[in-house]
Amino acid sequence: MKKYSVVGHSVPQIDANEKARGVAEFVSDLQLAGMLYGKILRSPHPHARILHIDPSKARRLKGVKAIVTAEDTPQIPFGPRTEDWNIFAVEKVRFIGDEVAGVAAVDEDTAEEALDLIRVEYEELASVFDPIEAMQPGAVLIHDKERNIVSEFKLNKGDVDRAFQECDVVHSERYYTNQVYQAYLEPMACVAHFDPTGKLTLYLATQIPSMTRITYAKALGLPLEKIRVVVPYYGGAFGAKMETNLHLAAAVLSQKTGKPIRMVNSREEDFMAGNPRVPMYIDLKVGAKKDGTLVGKEVKIIGGSGARAIYSMAIVATACYRVDSLYRFEHLRTEGITVYTNTVPTSCFRGFGNAQMTFALESSLDMIAGHLNMDPAELRIRNGLKTGEVSIHGWQIGSSGLEECVQKAVEASGWEEKRRKKRFSRGIGLACCNHVSGNRAFSREFDGGAGIVRIGREGKVLVYHGESDMGQGQRTVFAQIVAEELGVALDRIEVAPVDTDISPFGLGSFATRGTVFGGNGVKAAAQDAKRQILEVAAEIFETIPSELEAKEGKIYVKEEPERNLSFEKVAEICLLRRGGSPIVGTGFWVPDTVLPDPVTKYGNVAPAYPFACQIAEVEVDTETGHVNVLHYTAAHDVGRAINPQATEGQIHGGVTQGIGWALMEDMVVEKGKVLNPDFRDYVMPGPLDIPPIKSILVEPIDPNGPFGAKGIGEPALNPSPAAVANAIYDAIGVRFTELPITPEKILKKLGSALDIGHLHRKKF
Amino acid sequence: MKYPLKLSVNGVLFELEIPANRTLLDVLRNELGLKGTKEGCGAGECGACTVLLDDEPVNSCLVLALQADGRRITTIEGLSGAGKLHPVHEAFIHHGAIQCGFCTPGMILSAKVLLDRHPNPTEREIREGLVGNLCRCTGYQKIVEAVSSLVNRKD
Repeated sequence: MKKYSVVGHSVPQIDANEKARGVAEFVSDLQLAGMLYGKILRSPHPHARILHIDPSKARRLKGVKAIVTAEDTPQIPFGPRTEDWNIFAVEKVRFIGDEVAGVAAVDEDTAEEALDLIRVEYEELASVFDPIEAMQPGAVLIHDKERNIVSEFKLNKGDVDRAFQECDVVHSERYYTNQVYQAYLEPMACVAHFDPTGKLTLYLATQIPSMTRITYAKALGLPLEKIRVVVPYYGGAFGAKMETNLHLAAAVLSQKTGKPIRMVNSREEDFMAGNPRVPMYIDLKVGAKKDGTLVGKEVKIIGGSGARAIYSMAIVATACYRVDSLYRFEHLRTEGITVYTNTVPTSCFRGFGNAQMTFALESSLDMIAGHLNMDPAELRIRNGLKTGEVSIHGWQIGSSGLEECVQKAVEASGWEEKRRKKRFSRGIGLACCNHVSGNRAFSREFDGGAGIVRIGREGKVLVYHGESDMGQGQRTVFAQIVAEELGVALDRIEVAPVDTDISPFGLGSFATRGTVFGGNGVKAAAQDAKRQILEVAAEIFETIPSELEAKEGKIYVKEEPERNLSFEKVAEICLLRRGGSPIVGTGFWVPDTVLPDPVTKYGNVAPAYPFACQIAEVEVDTETGHVNVLHYTAAHDVGRAINPQATEGQIHGGVTQGIGWALMEDMVVEKGKVLNPDFRDYVMPGPLDIPPIKSILVEPIDPNGPFGAKGIGEPALNPSPAAVANAIYDAIGVRFTELPITPEKILKKLGSALDIGHLHRKKF
Repeated sequence: MKYPLKLSVNGVLFELEIPANRTLLDVLRNELGLKGTKEGCGAGECGACTVLLDDEPVNSCLVLALQADGRRITTIEGLSGAGKLHPVHEAFIHHGAIQCGFCTPGMILSAKVLLDRHPNPTEREIREGLVGNLCRCTGYQKIVEAVSSLVNRKD
């Protein structure tokens, strides 16, 4: 494997110092001159007609500067996929938390007090909360969509019925993956400022700065050029921080008052009106031959989108068919239905549907391996896609480290020995996953990444990109790539915050795409900057650029290294010879991905595909039902780790969220109301719930990733719930098909299992 | 109605007049501009607003500012005097214990107190000592590694 001087080396995040000292300014820390504070009046009803809104009493409260409702907006329906959004509710509210009105005041307390004084008359309507009930004929309609169906996804290949007949084992199961909350530590936040020229600057915590700008321009009825999006530091996202009405409410209030408006969700609001994970019913049937060859897969998914579709239909589609490029299924029948309900709109959360389906598929494969008396690891290796293969949907696997992931995880976890020395209540379980780095199907308009690299007089390099660092360490990876290309030390590089007035257009940080797309974009820009600086250096040394080398902060003649100048000196000469112009390198990268056919879905959605294998070892306390995760091994094909320390950090974080989902996390929703909208009742992993995680980086060097890198964000979580569920099955012989697997569920199942004598009770 | 309040914050004395319902977190952030102390939940559950009140870690969102009258407060800004990093800062940076950074100030202060009181904690004791601080990015592992690296340090 080729070695580099900056790429491939563990470095702290380039902004870790500011974050450690508490001086990094997050969105909720921003303070602009004359700034007011906004709050949203939210619907207390899951479904109701708005008869009348009377803000007069609230308006008279001292310190209140503006109150806005749908009447103060252009009332243009909008949305990232389906136009079922309004900035504030028009005629109807559709979930508890739906935005009804906005208040701007001199401080947050006053704004909250004003919310209580706004009188709203509602006529309550029938509501429906479960997607299966919502799609029954006669169910109340939430939007004007027949049977509340947002969309249906269908995909059939081969002859699945015949294939099942010819299988030696066919396993059928219904799974349910619940609604979980991303729980980033900084709630959703923004500052909006309409300046006197009519230009709106939005300081947003968003993963998709350029895309929100387009969606918001439409919602506000503004030309695109009147909107500027800036992305300061923000405290995590995990898929949730895309479009949100919070940003638009702030924009409308700023337009009304002429003042900057800061809006920050309370934690409760963030639970009730954020974008939690799409819950899914998954009916899965998988057939295999007795040698373990997987043959057919039939799946029917019903996903609940909540009261707005957002990206839920794409998430359900992903759940339907992404795993077909993990294993070699030849026969498929697939149906995915996305359904409105009167609950909080659901959307992206690390894994984008693939996490839901991976739980189901990897649980079923565990059962099939059991039926066939086959090592579950062997079953995965036998069926897993290898480097150079093209999947049934046309996905070109440029590199696959799946087999190596399985082998290394098996070895590091002591899999074989632990399976041999079985004892009741202790178990070990394995699960794999694939994913994408980028998703051609998600953004139909184009695919690609771009960067700008500016070198100033002092030789300081400033990198601009259009993606979004939510804390994962993207800025650092981009800085490492540019430092490597320019042959300078990492501390010469600064990465600018995304500002749509300056930065390139970027699709943003989702689909595990940042490293591959943004990385290739800034790499191309750095190469362009290097070409320019070498041209000037060639004039100085009276040679041609190809005779020069840029390395270790110096530019020198290859054959005569003593003829050299510092990078800074050449940058200065460059600027002085070029009328004061800094070097500005621009570059872009367009992968040869293929937009999937609308009917057959045949295409090639990503330039690179990551793979993983994770192994959990658990101890189940049969008295309390508590599951203790004892050991955890996670082997990930990351192509090449640009920053191994950060890559491991992503794995640790993803596994932890996955264990949380498997064992404890659950949004308890009753009649559309979230009953546990706080961190006391929404339990997620603390430091004592997670064992040390052994992370293994598998680096097959991808042909398309920058320096061979692929993404890591989502695959870090995808297999974890199944690995834990499979370990629990190994421990106590009970298969859990619904998440989370709580002590109550375990005791209930264990009780019945013990009663019918299937298991030997532990002796005390 | 406003009440007088005297606070010693990071060694500097402040005299303020504030309403009785203001939290210490609110006063630190909005009156004194110390934005390093973060608000993650407003209910004492996440630990992002941890500060030291007379060397005792507290969730500043649960402390009324007037309860801190006449007392000594250390925030994250007070841990790095004149740009010099505290060893806990350095360990967090070096070990990759910081991702989004929103839990970091509170986590660092809790880690500092833990090490001040138990200079030689086991891994389990480190995890127990940080149980009041949630982190959603790191899975805690590199945080625990950072704190472990400071066990038995000689400064």
